[in-house]
Amino acid sequence: MLSVKNIVKQYATHRALNDVSLEVEKGKIFGLLGPNGAGKTSLIRIITQITAPDSGEVFFNGERLNANHIPQIGYLPEERGLYKKMEIGEQVLYLSKLKGLNSAEATKRIKHWFEKLEMKDWWNKKVEDLSKGMQQKVQFVATVLHQPELIILDEPFSGFDPVNADIIKNEILELNKNGATFIFSTHRMESVEELCDNIALINKSKKILDGAVDEIKNTYRSNAYWIEYEGNYETSSNDIYEVLQTEKVKNHTLVKLQLKPNRVANEALSQLMPHVNIHRLDEVIPTMNDIFIEKVKGQNHE
Amino acid sequence: MNKILLIIQREYFSRVKKKSFIVMTFLTPLLIAGVYALIGYFTYKGIKDTHDKVAIVSTNKTLTEKLSSNQNISYTYIDQGLDQAKKELGKAAYDYILYLPEFSLNEPKGIELFGAKQPGMSLNRRISGDIEELIRTQKLKESGISQGDLDKLKTTVEISTKKIAETGTEEESSAGASTFIAFVAGVLMFMFIMMYGIQVMRGVIEEKTNRIIEVIVSSVKPFQLMMGKIIGIAMVGLTQFMLWIVLTLAISTAAVSLFVGKDEAKQITASSQAQTQISGGQQVTATAPQGPIADIQKSLAGLNVGKIVVVFLFFFLGGYLFYSALYAAIGSAVDSETETQQFMFPVMMPLLLGYALSLSVVTNDPYGNTAFWLSMIPFTSPIAMVVRMPYGVPGWELALSMAILAVGFVATVWIAGRIYRVGILMYGKKTTFKEMFKWFTYKN
Repeated sequence: MLSVKNIVKQYATHRALNDVSLEVEKGKIFGLLGPNGAGKTSLIRIITQITAPDSGEVFFNGERLNANHIPQIGYLPEERGLYKKMEIGEQVLYLSKLKGLNSAEATKRIKHWFEKLEMKDWWNKKVEDLSKGMQQKVQFVATVLHQPELIILDEPFSGFDPVNADIIKNEILELNKNGATFIFSTHRMESVEELCDNIALINKSKKILDGAVDEIKNTYRSNAYWIEYEGNYETSSNDIYEVLQTEKVKNHTLVKLQLKPNRVANEALSQLMPHVNIHRLDEVIPTMNDIFIEKVKGQNHE
Repeated sequence: MNKILLIIQREYFSRVKKKSFIVMTFLTPLLIAGVYALIGYFTYKGIKDTHDKVAIVSTNKTLTEKLSSNQNISYTYIDQGLDQAKKELGKAAYDYILYLPEFSLNEPKGIELFGAKQPGMSLNRRISGDIEELIRTQKLKESGISQGDLDKLKTTVEISTKKIAETGTEEESSAGASTFIAFVAGVLMFMFIMMYGIQVMRGVIEEKTNRIIEVIVSSVKPFQLMMGKIIGIAMVGLTQFMLWIVLTLAISTAAVSLFVGKDEAKQITASSQAQTQISGGQQVTATAPQGPIADIQKSLAGLNVGKIVVVFLFFFLGGYLFYSALYAAIGSAVDSETETQQFMFPVMMPLLLGYALSLSVVTNDPYGNTAFWLSMIPFTSPIAMVVRMPYGVPGWELALSMAILAVGFVATVWIAGRIYRVGILMYGKKTTFKEMFKWFTYKN
C-alpha cells in the first residue's frame, strides 16, 4: 500500500536518507529498525508529509503522496505530548477535527475508545493530572481515532508500564486484524519479533536489509544446535559436526554443535545416542537483535 | 483553510476563556481609571495644598510696596529681628522666614529664605516671581504711571490654534490634546505589540516543549499552524482592545459625571475667589487647572477620532503581524523561554527605539524628517504613525506607510514561516543566527 522509492534527504551538510526504497504491504505490520540517528524519523516525516524529500517519490495505494492522504495516516511521534492546560476530551476532539472528522462523529468515537481503554471519566481532566502512561493512552487514541489506513508508531512502547503496553499491543493487533497497516519505528528489537511481519533495517541513512521476519531469520540461521545429555561421554568434532563449546552442569553436559554443510540434526543425534541419554535439542536461532547488531557492526567496520 | 479556522478557534477560545484574560480585561480599565483618578486627585490636592506661610523680616527702606498674599503663599510682615524670628521658627505660625535686606531696586541682592525644612523649587520660584513683580510695579509707579494705568496694562492673551486641512477647512485643534492622544496611542501600540507578540512566542514554545507540535504538523502545514496562532491571538488582542475601550469609556464617563463634575465647579468658584483677592495685577495662575480639560474636550471634537481609531487598528494589526511573525520564528528556534534572550534583543531594539523616538522627537516635531522616516520604516511605523496621527498626516504619507507596512509583514511572515517549519522540529540544540539562516534556505 505504501511504496517509498529512492528517497534522498539532505540537511545542509548531513545526508539523512540516501536512496532509501521500501514496500509496505497492506494489512501487515512493518518494522522500521535502526540505531538512533539512522534516519528513521526523517523517513517517517516524509511519509507523514511533514517534510518533503529532495528526490525520490512516495506512493500511497498507487497514488503519489498528496494532501488528501493526510486523513488516512495516523502518526504517533517519538517526541509526543499534549496541551497541558486543555481538557483531555477537548484535546482529542481538536486533534481529530484537524484530521477532518466532524464534531459529532469524533465525540462518538472518543467516548467509545475512552470506554474501551478504561478512561471513561477522563474527559474533563487536564493533562497535568495524568501520569505519563495515561497520557500515552490518550495519544494512542488520538492517533487511531480517525480510523487511518496506515498507522505509524515511533517507539510506541517507550514509557508504558507492562500492563498498559500489553493493552496497547492488543489494540494494535485488533486494529491490524480489522485491516489497518502499521509501521513501527524502533531500535528495540524485542517488540519487533512478536509483532512485525516485515522489517527494513536502516543504518547511516541507508537501508541495509529488508524482508519478511521469518525469511530474514532463516537466512541468518547458522545451522548450530545446543544438545543437552546425561552420561559420562565427551564428543569431539567429526565429519558431521564441529564442537563449538562444552559445558558440564552436575552430571549433565551441554554441547554446542555446528553442523557441517548438508548435514542435518538427526545425523548428529544418531552419532550421540549410542553413548548418552538425550534430554534436549535446541536450534541456535539468531534473534533480530543479533542480526541487527551483526549488520550494523558489519557496516560500521566497512 | 478549514483547518486554519480550527486552529484560530482553539487559540482564541483557549485564551479568552482563561481566568487571567477575564481578570485582566476587566481590571485594567479600572486600574487605568483608578491611576488617573489618583494622579488627578493628587495634582489637584497638591495645587490646593501648597499654601505656604511666609513671615517677612524686612530692613529694607527702598521697597515701599508690600508683598501681598496670594493663592499659594500668605505673607505676613513681622516686627522682629532676624535672629529672634529664626529662634521662634519651630514654634511660630509660619513655615518660612523671608529676609529682605536693604538693596537697590536695580540690584536686589542678599535676599534670604529660611525654613525648618528645605524650601522647594516651586516656592523659591514663586517668591522670587512675586518680588520681581513687586519691584517692577514700584519702578513703574516711580516713573509716573498710576495704579489705574497699571491695571489697564494687564491683558490676558489666549491663542486658539487652528489647523488648515488639505480640504481648506479650518479645524479646531490643540497642541495639548494632540500630544495627549499621541502619547496614549503610542504607549498603547507599544504595549499591544509587545504583549501579544510575546504571547505568540510563548504559544510556539509551549507547543514545542509539550511535544505536541509533531502530532499537529502531521495534520496541518506548519505555516497554517503559525498563521492560525498569529491570527487567533490577534483576535484576542482586538477583543481585549474593544472591551477596554468600551469599559474605559463607561467607567470614565461615570467618573466624570460623579467626581470631576462637582470638583470642577468647586475649583472654578475657588479660583474666582482667588482672583478677587489678588489686587494689583499679580500673576493669574488660577485659571490654569480647568484650561487643559476644557481644551481637550473642545479639540477632541475637532480631531477626527473615528479616523484615528481606524488608523490605529490598521497599524496595530500590521505592526502586530510584522512583529509576531518574528516572535514566532524566535519561539520555534528555542527549547525554552530562557533561551530567547539573544534573539529577543534585535527584535526589541527597533520597537523600543521607535517608541522612545516617537514620544520625544515625533511629538516635538510631528512633520519633521525624523518623524517622516520613522513612520515609513515598518519596524517603527506602527508607533510613529499613530503618534503622528492626531497632528494630522497627509493622505499620501499615510497610504505609503500602510503599503510599506503591508509589504513588510508579508515579508516577515514569509521569512518567519521558513524558519518556523524547521525550527519547531529541532530539539536539544542551541540555535544560532547562522543556523536560523540555514533553516531559511532549506527546501521544504
